[in-house]
Amino acid sequence: MNNILVCVKAVPATTSVQVDGQYRLKREGASLQWNIADESALEAALSLKDKDGTVTVVTMGPPKLEAPLQDLLARGCDRVVLITDRLMAGADTRATAGALRAAAKRLGPADLILCGRRAIDGETGQVPGELASALGIPCVSNVEKLEWEKDRLLLHRRLETGVEVLSARGPLVVSVCEYAYSLRLPGILSMRRARGKTVERYSAADLGLTAEQCGLKGSLTKVTAMESKFPGLRNGPKETDPAKGIQALRAMLREVQP
Amino acid sequence: MISQNALHHAEKCRFCWMCRHLCPVQHQTGREVNTPRAKGLLLSMANKGTQPFDKDMAQAMYECLLCDACTNDCATGYQPPLFIREARTEAVVNELAPEAVMKLIDNALETGNIYGVEKPSYGQDGTDVLVYIGEVAAIQVPQMAKNLLAVLKKAGVSAKVLANEPASGVMLGDLMGYTEEVRQQAKACADAINAAGLPVVVLDSYDAEIMKQKYPEWGCEIKTDVTTATAYVAKLIASGKLEAKAGTGVQGACHDDDRLARTFHEFAPIRAMAKAAGYEVGEMFSREKLAKSCGTAVAYGYMPALVEKIAASRWEDLKRSGCAAMLTASPQAYLCLSLCVPEGKALVDLYAALV
Ligand code: SF4
Ligand code: SF4
Repeated sequence: MNNILVCVKAVPATTSVQVDGQYRLKREGASLQWNIADESALEAALSLKDKDGTVTVVTMGPPKLEAPLQDLLARGCDRVVLITDRLMAGADTRATAGALRAAAKRLGPADLILCGRRAIDGETGQVPGELASALGIPCVSNVEKLEWEKDRLLLHRRLETGVEVLSARGPLVVSVCEYAYSLRLPGILSMRRARGKTVERYSAADLGLTAEQCGLKGSLTKVTAMESKFPGLRNGPKETDPAKGIQALRAMLREVQP
Repeated sequence: MISQNALHHAEKCRFCWMCRHLCPVQHQTGREVNTPRAKGLLLSMANKGTQPFDKDMAQAMYECLLCDACTNDCATGYQPPLFIREARTEAVVNELAPEAVMKLIDNALETGNIYGVEKPSYGQDGTDVLVYIGEVAAIQVPQMAKNLLAVLKKAGVSAKVLANEPASGVMLGDLMGYTEEVRQQAKACADAINAAGLPVVVLDSYDAEIMKQKYPEWGCEIKTDVTTATAYVAKLIASGKLEAKAGTGVQGACHDDDRLARTFHEFAPIRAMAKAAGYEVGEMFSREKLAKSCGTAVAYGYMPALVEKIAASRWEDLKRSGCAAMLTASPQAYLCLSLCVPEGKALVDLYAALV
């Protein structure tokens, strides 16, 4: 029996990104979706579970994530957990990893913890490594294929120069590449099974975390400035001649990424 | 569980009532519950808890052809098929779907097609294109499948047909919404098509729609070109590989099926086929994007009497046009229209006419 824990993050839909006065993403009014690499990690977990095991999902965010979490039950996850507490607002990757660690401890031993390799909002890719470090277990990053080989996992890891195949034994944290797996749809049987299940909620206190360990207070980093370098489709120069358009685009790209 | 996106669509209506004039189901039943608008209202009430989602509501969600005429016409961007599919999933999960629907679903899950029978084999192993026949043509309108293959042969195209052609998932998707079971059918179909490695010519536009629109979204994209059979044959005509026939002196009107009309906006190929088959092309009043549905094979499977009435209404359109023949290249349209061909009018399979 393999118990797999998947950490997912709800990110603002790419069409509705807004930032508040403290350079934090506004998540309240925004329409949220699961981070694409996390969906990939979820499907990797469900594919492993198709052979054997259980899948528990944990996320941190506002109470409105209950409905999308219910949907994950209908896609075949066994248990879904929402860490939700105002104290957690503004958490950086370290505070996030701390909350996930506390949840992982409370949920009981997992043979494998899967995360997306990075989130499309923060783009840091730090949480998987920080979580592994907090739990004192190894981390394998940028994996695009996972399969069981007896009691070991074969991990196909994407490198700049090719693919590395590692054999590992749990417990460990694995970060999965976006688009490596396509998340399955809810199935009729799993929807029926999901009917009796509910989303479990944890507050900071449930996880034994103090205010100092959560949110902005528990964070080591703080965004102090933010600047948009992208001129924007509407405000940019307009060119109807293809050759001039390509020149303008090159100039614009040089300006954004010197 | 109905998604927020679907509920958002269900709530979009501004009560202009234009859609009640174009829904082919409402035309025949005359019942308020069959207007596209009412379906959204019902779902919205179920969501707010003012009406239970019960067998009656489930029945209302199945009294729809998913023809998209309402979507095409609604100024607010209301898309009933989007939330109706989700409502059907809800009905199946909660065992509220009509018995006749459940029988078709069981067949599709057990045998891969709603008819619960084995598909015929064509023994074709050509090398130019892979022809995807689809379950409606293979089982209900087999002559049209043979005629398409004969047309291709006449034009010198070497066609392959998969020996055990997997279901595309379109029928199951219409019956119970887009669930994992449907995606699994789609994936098996895409895998078989990709293994053949040939460009695909799809006879049934309903299959073509799911392949082109849903497969990429579900992570099972077909790697080669996917073309509707009508577009492919029209190209053969345009390139001179398929010779035009002498005039028949008969005036015929082309029936634009729901998917060619509103998904692919493909109107010219079927008319080019009609001309090449020697017909003088007339037109019915509701055509192209505004074409009226004549029924679908899946709806015929669970509400045959209503689909026959809907098809009869399409024949009325033909009578009003003054044309003598209804011209079609759609197996689903052929199946429905053949239920009630009026005296003095002809139903023409355009592939047969081109052989
Ligand atoms: S056409 Fe659209 S806005 Fe008008 S009644 Fe129908 S659904 Fe409502
Ligand atoms: S999809 Fe077609 S049959 Fe269904 S409500 Fe709309 S117009 Fe009527």
